[in-house]
Amino acid sequence: MDFIQEGFFQAVALLRNRDPATYSAISVTLRASGMAMVVSLLLGLPLGYLLGYFDFRFKKQIRIVVDTLLSLPTVFIGLVVYALLTRNGPLGETGLLFTIPGIAVGQAILALPIVIALTATAVEASDRNLRITLMSLGANRFQIAKSTLWEVRLGLLAAAVTATGRVLTEVGISLMVGGNIKWHTRTITTAIALETSKGEFGMGIALGLVLLLIALTVNISLAGLRRRI
Amino acid sequence: MDIYQIQDIDHYYGDKQVLSIEDISIPAASIVGLIGPNGSGKSTLLKLLGFLEEPTYGAISFKGKKTLPFSHEVRFTVTLLTQAPYLMRRSVFDNVVYGLKIRKDTKDLRSRVGRALDLVGLDPEDFAKRKWYELSGGEAQRVALAARLVLKPEVLLLDEPTASVDADSARLIRKASLQAREEWGATLVVATHDWQWLYETCDSVLHLLHGRLFKNGLGSAVYGPWKFGEEGFLHKEFEDGQVLVVPTPEEGKKLAILDPSRMKISLPGEDPLLKWKIDTLNGFVTRLFLERNGDMVQVDIKVAVLVITMRLALDKVEELKLYPGKKVSIAYDPRDIEWF
Amino acid sequence: MKKTVFMLVCLTTVLHGSIFFSGKFVHAAETGGELLLATTTSTDNTGLLDYLMPSFTVKTGIGIRWIATGTGKALKLGENCDVDILLVHAPQAEIDFVDQGFGVDRQQIMYNDFVLIGPTEDPAKIRGKGVSPALQAIKSSNTVFVSRGDNSGTNKKERLLWKLADMPIPEQETWYRQSGQGMLATINVAAELKGYTMADRGTYIKYESIAESKPALVVLVEGDDVLLNQYSIIPINLQHCANVKYDKAQVLSSWMAGDEAQRLIGEFKLLGKQLFTPNANRE
Repeated sequence: MDFIQEGFFQAVALLRNRDPATYSAISVTLRASGMAMVVSLLLGLPLGYLLGYFDFRFKKQIRIVVDTLLSLPTVFIGLVVYALLTRNGPLGETGLLFTIPGIAVGQAILALPIVIALTATAVEASDRNLRITLMSLGANRFQIAKSTLWEVRLGLLAAAVTATGRVLTEVGISLMVGGNIKWHTRTITTAIALETSKGEFGMGIALGLVLLLIALTVNISLAGLRRRI
Repeated sequence: MDIYQIQDIDHYYGDKQVLSIEDISIPAASIVGLIGPNGSGKSTLLKLLGFLEEPTYGAISFKGKKTLPFSHEVRFTVTLLTQAPYLMRRSVFDNVVYGLKIRKDTKDLRSRVGRALDLVGLDPEDFAKRKWYELSGGEAQRVALAARLVLKPEVLLLDEPTASVDADSARLIRKASLQAREEWGATLVVATHDWQWLYETCDSVLHLLHGRLFKNGLGSAVYGPWKFGEEGFLHKEFEDGQVLVVPTPEEGKKLAILDPSRMKISLPGEDPLLKWKIDTLNGFVTRLFLERNGDMVQVDIKVAVLVITMRLALDKVEELKLYPGKKVSIAYDPRDIEWF
Repeated sequence: MKKTVFMLVCLTTVLHGSIFFSGKFVHAAETGGELLLATTTSTDNTGLLDYLMPSFTVKTGIGIRWIATGTGKALKLGENCDVDILLVHAPQAEIDFVDQGFGVDRQQIMYNDFVLIGPTEDPAKIRGKGVSPALQAIKSSNTVFVSRGDNSGTNKKERLLWKLADMPIPEQETWYRQSGQGMLATINVAAELKGYTMADRGTYIKYESIAESKPALVVLVEGDDVLLNQYSIIPINLQHCANVKYDKAQVLSSWMAGDEAQRLIGEFKLLGKQLFTPNANRE
């Protein structure tokens, strides 16, 4: 139990002293997760809208598939992405293995089903009268899509928050695809994994607290956003 | 000029048929009422008139042309107000201004919104800034109406606009809608139970039942039970002992529709032999209503549980000296009865 | 609506700003043309590479990154052409690797030894014994023995020891625990369970230095010839992987075998003890 207490003090020390390895890990984490979230939102919001809004032949089945993808273990995704990005793999030429964009690709695969499923749910839950109102005021199909997404914006925010949380805290993808290379692809979570495997539990706790602090900061700003919209 | 021409449309939701209309014409700048019980298809018909959905079979002509949803001709000219007051999650101002922004018609937004709010009896200074959750049901419905009126639509479709609101809002909504017709000749189609709309405002009224149109009103629709009498005729017995004789229906049809336009009205006692004949019904006048054209009078006659509405020329009413409470006799031919 | 857009712009700016600012702490050598090395957890956990590699970069101008995993994975990464060069310690597997044409110019660089460590109380009484008698004693006393269980170089050596003692690999025995993890993690598991394990001396010294107060496990068996732990460096074969930075890999290989690196390796100490003995053959 001592190491938990030790971890607290270490966390403060790391941040105050601007420990370079820690700040490097923070930077790698933010960059990988940031890229992953941008991609998954750009793709996931429209796809989620289409899935939630329209009725089409295999809608139920596709929804089941998307919901199942929510249970993908990160190590599994990491392994699959490694297989894609390895030198002799289909995307080997891209040279993305052991890089931050490579990690972002894997994390985007993790985040995408979350964004799609929660967006679809939010859109489906929107009022029947919204469509009637929008059409009556003269909106075309594209404007209906835009305005519907804006109407369910709080649901979309929830989707983004959930996906971000999942992506910030995963280890399996960062480890397999990033390689945990110090200064380059070592994220906070892979650093925690490393430290605990070395028996440095205090350090593991410290880094975990740093990650929580980052998550807290992100969520405080999102809460501020939620109030204003 | 007819702004709407509907011929032979059938509309289904899945396997269930919800509308079957043979023929409706709606003249431009007229006010048409739509009445019928819940589930009769009023809202569906309004949605089709609003081009929010496409009829499963058949097409609706707008200004003489077959028209589909999202088409250019109707997107900016036909608008529907839903029964439940519904606003988007934004301020009153942004709600009212939405349609204008869609049309990229952004001059003088503030004053136009202000005028639209004035039209529905809401003070722009107070209301424009309010959020969607800071309004009563009646205020919300008025804002929704303002959002449509600001667009100066050629057709205004209203689905029970006064059903879910307070009396003041109901009055202001009616006033604003009429103003729309006055100012720019809007055509109004209003589904409503409100008597002020139906009797004081509408030029004509469409009756809907089970998705079909009943030209002569719903008071002349008679449900069973039907029995075979001693003389071998199918009939219904009313509580007061009177009997309505009907022809044998087709399989599955249970509703008999009388046609008041083919009935003859007379005063009892004129022909004493008529009193107990099988093709005569006795009742009394309950309501006289002068139509807007000034020539025809709607006469409601209560016969047992039925209310039969006949349209008589004004001089016929004077001749018979009809007044509410006066006893009358109606002669009908059972062969004029249709089954449904 | 305008206010929202403004808020979103602020949020994005803050986010990008913090990312950019924190990016300044990332290590300078982020250029392309870097060498990628796959090595084992034992090499990395001791801190040897952190200590040694900067000198390489200073001397040759070549930046280097490394991935520390188990030997099995390191060899796989080499075979898959995902890295340029290997530094591992599994001689038989290495020879196979070169025979299959995946690697070339295998060079011995340094060695240390494996030791059997256990609790100071030594319940199975193996202190001072030879390897085979020690393993026999552990088995007959049913004391916990923790294995890497991960097909690493260390693991392969351990399994060899059982074989040399004429004993079957104790797969199903309850006292034989396979951690599936790296060396330090395995030592920690053994410490928790008050059991025995086989570790390379370098990692053991690192463990000692972390456990500032008395370490729970001490060296009980050492010195047998069979406990030799040889580290070698193997550049990946250009014929097998057209993309590897073969020239730069050769530079690293020569440097590691050269005077400067060999001296630095010998000088690397923790708690005053030398972890690795340099033994590159200079032709």
